[in-house]
Amino acid sequence: MAATFLAFGAACREAGMPLEWMLACCLFVYGMPGQMVLLGVPGLPGVLGATVANARFLPLAIALAPYLGSRGWIAAPFIAVTPWAVAMRVVPGLHPGLGLPWFLGCGMISWGLGAATALVGFAVAASLPTAARPALLFANTLYFALLIGADLVRPAARPAVIGGMLAAPIAMMLPPALGLLLAGLVGGTAAWFWQRR
Amino acid sequence: MNPDWTPLLLAAGLGLGLRLAGVFLARHLRPDHPAVRWAAAVAGATIAAFVMIALIAPPGAAASVPPVARVAGLVSGLVAQWRFGLLAGLVAGLAVLTLVAAYGVNP
Repeated sequence: MAATFLAFGAACREAGMPLEWMLACCLFVYGMPGQMVLLGVPGLPGVLGATVANARFLPLAIALAPYLGSRGWIAAPFIAVTPWAVAMRVVPGLHPGLGLPWFLGCGMISWGLGAATALVGFAVAASLPTAARPALLFANTLYFALLIGADLVRPAARPAVIGGMLAAPIAMMLPPALGLLLAGLVGGTAAWFWQRR
Repeated sequence: MNPDWTPLLLAAGLGLGLRLAGVFLARHLRPDHPAVRWAAAVAGATIAAFVMIALIAPPGAAASVPPVARVAGLVSGLVAQWRFGLLAGLVAGLAVLTLVAAYGVNP
């Protein structure tokens, strides 16, 4: 995740965006696909694209909320893919009262780390070696691929992973943000039915 | 460049709205409630689809990374993770990806 934010900071610098815009985007949007859409697409289409790209916040929040208790809304700004993926492996095993403080700690560290590394990326954009570019571009993908690889051995998570992988071609036939949302809906719903049979 | 802040603020507000809606919808549900399980399955499937697309047909600048480098990075990362854990998998995968992208055969 840090490498992705590093790359976002560098991309903002290269696009000529000011530091405060880059930082506000990291802290308040805090969802990399949406951030990239906002950077590349101006105006209302950018807002719609970013919202669709980050629509996964809704199912992420629904899945996490039962572990956060009645004051879970405090943690809402920190719900994003990386802390969610880590939290869903830990919070189900915690004492019910510890879910919220645990997620707040994890989420705020992840949130702060993202903004800090984006600042570094913005500062060193011009001096990043060319050889480091592929690693920066694929760090986030590889991180999630490894998490998914680990999920394949967990029976509770396996159907959703396989469903999403099989539904990925749907996303390739549609505009990226909308396609990903639809692939998740189709693959996830199919996995849910599979588990209920 | 003097950016227009309105799109950023609108997108940030809508994103927070989605997160809050999810929390308020599900805060009184049990973790094994069918709606919560469905949302978890959709979230997991979305991430899996995102990874598949990013590996097979990455958008934007990532498309310039050779497919052989992506596959080599993924395979070495998975092997290292299986043997030594997540962080080792990430480091090994990125190292191999970088090396193959720099020196590997580009079909």
